[in-house]
Amino acid sequence: MKNRKTSVFDGLVGDNTVLSSLMVISPVIMCGTDISNAIALIYAFSAITFFSVILGSFVPKKLPYAAKIIIYAVIASLVYIPVRTAAGMFFPEVIGRVGIYFPLLAVNSLIIVQSETKFYRMKRLPMIASLVFYILGFDAVMLITAFIRELLGSGTINGRVVDADTIISGLGMPFGGFIFLGLFCGLYRAVRSAVRREENEGGGDSDVHGN
Amino acid sequence: MQTKIKSERFIWIDIMITLLTLELMEYFYYGIRSVVLGCVCVGASLAAELISLRLMKRKFTADDLTCVSDALIIALMLPAAFDYKIAAIACVFAVVAAKNVFGGRLNMIFSPAAAAYVFIYTSWKSLLLMYPEPHTHTGIFEKAGSLVSSASHSFNINGKLSISDFELLMGNFCGPPGAVSVLLLSVAAIVLLFRRSISAGAFIGTVSATALLAYIVPAGVTKAGSVKYSIVMNMVLFAAIYIIADRRVAPKRGYFAFFYGFFLAAFAYIYTLTSAKENSIVLISLVFTPAALGFKNLEKHIENIRAEEAASELLQAQENADDTVTEEAAADEE
Amino acid sequence: MFMVIEFVVLLSSNLILMQALGTSTLFIAAGNKKNLLWTAITITIFTTLGSGAAYFIKNLLPSGIADLTLLFYVLIIGIIYVLLLAALYFAGGETFKKARKYVHLSAYNCAVMGTVITVAGRAETMPEYNHFMSFVSAGAEAGSGFILAAFILTAAYRKLNSSKVPAAFRGFPAMLIYLGLISMAVYALR
Repeated sequence: MKNRKTSVFDGLVGDNTVLSSLMVISPVIMCGTDISNAIALIYAFSAITFFSVILGSFVPKKLPYAAKIIIYAVIASLVYIPVRTAAGMFFPEVIGRVGIYFPLLAVNSLIIVQSETKFYRMKRLPMIASLVFYILGFDAVMLITAFIRELLGSGTINGRVVDADTIISGLGMPFGGFIFLGLFCGLYRAVRSAVRREENEGGGDSDVHGN
Repeated sequence: MQTKIKSERFIWIDIMITLLTLELMEYFYYGIRSVVLGCVCVGASLAAELISLRLMKRKFTADDLTCVSDALIIALMLPAAFDYKIAAIACVFAVVAAKNVFGGRLNMIFSPAAAAYVFIYTSWKSLLLMYPEPHTHTGIFEKAGSLVSSASHSFNINGKLSISDFELLMGNFCGPPGAVSVLLLSVAAIVLLFRRSISAGAFIGTVSATALLAYIVPAGVTKAGSVKYSIVMNMVLFAAIYIIADRRVAPKRGYFAFFYGFFLAAFAYIYTLTSAKENSIVLISLVFTPAALGFKNLEKHIENIRAEEAASELLQAQENADDTVTEEAAADEE
Repeated sequence: MFMVIEFVVLLSSNLILMQALGTSTLFIAAGNKKNLLWTAITITIFTTLGSGAAYFIKNLLPSGIADLTLLFYVLIIGIIYVLLLAALYFAGGETFKKARKYVHLSAYNCAVMGTVITVAGRAETMPEYNHFMSFVSAGAEAGSGFILAAFILTAAYRKLNSSKVPAAFRGFPAMLIYLGLISMAVYALR
C-alpha cells in the first residue's frame, strides 16, 4: 500500500519532473516569465505528453530501442498538430512569444526517455496515474516559476499591474531563469530531504497510518 | 592551518583598511549619503551571510567577515546616490547566489562583488551608469538631483578627456566613487602587493596588458594619454586590485595569475575599444571565471604529480636505506 | 582584434547559455570528461546534418502542409539516428557498444531539435540565410556552442560537486546557478 501510493505521487512531489529529474527545463527557463505563457505551455505539454505516452504504450515492446524512440517522437509530432491548432485559437499571442519552445514540447524527455525507462514498465492504470502526476509536476513548477518571475521581474500578475516596489528585470531573462530554477531546485531538495528525514525518524508511526 | 587562518584574516584586515580609506574619500565628495549606502550594503551582506550560514549549519566565524569587504567593494562601485533597496538586493544576491550556494568562502568560484555588479548592470543599467557630480551632497532619504554620465563614458566615445592630472589623481571627476580616486588606489595597490594581500601576478598582468595594448592600439588621441586614461578609466585599476587580483578567485601560482590577468585585461581593452561599453572589465572578469578555474585545476594537477613524485622518491630512499642496513648486517655477521 | 567581438557573438548565440537547449544532457554528460566529449561531438554531428537536411524540408515542403513540418524534422532526425547507428555497427562491435549510448542520448535532444527549428525559422524571417551552406554552418555553430558550454562547465565541475557545497545545492542546482551567472555576464556584454 505504502509503495504504490509513493510511486503514484512521485512525479508531483517526491521525484518532480523538473526539480528532481531536471527534465523539460528549457521551457521553464525561457518561457516561464509570465502566467499567460505558462498556461499555454501547461496546456500544450499536458495534452501532448498525455496522449503521446498513452498512444505510445501500444507500440510493441519487442521492437529495437531506436525504432521505438522514433515511433514515440512521430506519434508526439502528430499529436502536436491538433494541439497547436487549438492553441492558435485560445492563445494566439502566446504562440508567437513562446517561439520554438512550443514545438519542442513534442520531443520532451518525458515522451522520449521517461516513457521507455519508467512508464511502459508499469501496468496501464498505475502508468496513467503516474503519468498524470508527472505532468502535474511540470505544471506546478511552471506555474510557480511564472508567477514569481512575473511578479518580481515585471511587477504584474497575469498582465495586471501590481504595486511592486522594486522590479528585478533580470528575472525575466534566460539567466534569471537559470538562477531562479537553480535556487528553486535547491530549496525543493532541502525540503524533500528534511521531510524524508522526519519520515524515517517517525518510521513506525507512518507505517501505522498507512502513508 | 593556524598560520593559514591568521593570514586570511590579515588579508581581510588589509583590504578593509584600503576600502575604508576609499569610503572616506567618497564621503568627502558625496557626503553622508554614500556612507549610509555603504552601511546598507554591509548590513544586507551580514544579514544574508548569517542566515545562509545558519541554514548551512555552519558557525559564523571572523573569517566570514569577508562578506563585509565584498559589500564595501560593491558600494564603492555604485553611484553615491544609488537606490538603497537595489543595493541591498544586489548584496544579498552576491552573498547567496554567487557565494554561499557554492559552499561559501571555502569553495569560491565567482567574485561576489563582480557578480553583484553584473546583476545590477543587467537589471538596472540606466540607474547604475548615471552619477552625481563630485561635491554634490544628496540627503540620506532624498533622490539624486541631476545625474550625468561618467568620465569613462566620455573617454570611450570621444577618446579624450579634459581632466587635469591633479583632478585625475584626486578623483575629482564623475564615476564610481571607489574607482576614481587614482592616488588612493595606487597607494592601496602598493600596500596590498607588499603585504601579499592580493595576487601580484594577476594585478601586474592586468595593468601591463592594459598599458601595452593602450600603447600599441591607442584609444586616445595620444599614446601617453591612451595609456594613462585606459588604466584609470572604466574601473580598470579598481577591478585589477579588488576583483581580478582577489586571492580567493585568482590562480595561486604567480605566472598562471599573470596570464589570467593579462588575457582578461587584453580582452577587456579590445572589447571596450570596439564596443565603447563602460566598465566592461568587471563584466569580462565574470566571463573569465572558467579560465581562472581552469588554471586552478591545472595547479592542482601539478601539485598532485609533484606529491606523487615526492612520495615515490621517499619510498625509493627508504628502500635504499633498508638495503644499506641489510648489507651492513650481513657484513657484521661475516 | 575583431576575434573578441566574434567570440562575444558566439557566446551570445550559445544554445545553452542563451536558449537553455540541451542543458540536462550537458549536466548528465558532465560527470565524465570522455562522456562529455563524445556527447558534444555526437550532438554536433546531429545538429550539422539535421540543419542541412532541414534546408531541403523547408524548401521542398508545399506551403499547404506546413503543419507537418515538425513531423518531417522528426523523421529526418530519425533517419540520421538510424544511419549513425548503422555506421557504428559496421565500424565494429566494440565501437558500436561504446558509442551507441551517445547516439541514443543525442538523437531527440532539445539541442538538436531546437537548432533545426531555429535555423529553419531564421531562414523564414531572413531570406539571405536561406541557402544550404548557411543551414549547415548554423548547425555546426550550434554544436560548437555546446562544446564551448561543455568546457565552461567542466572547468567548474569539481567545485560544483565538492562536499563543501551544501547538499541541497550539490550537483544540478549549483550547475544551473553557475551557468546562470555566466549567462548573465554574457548577456551584459551583448
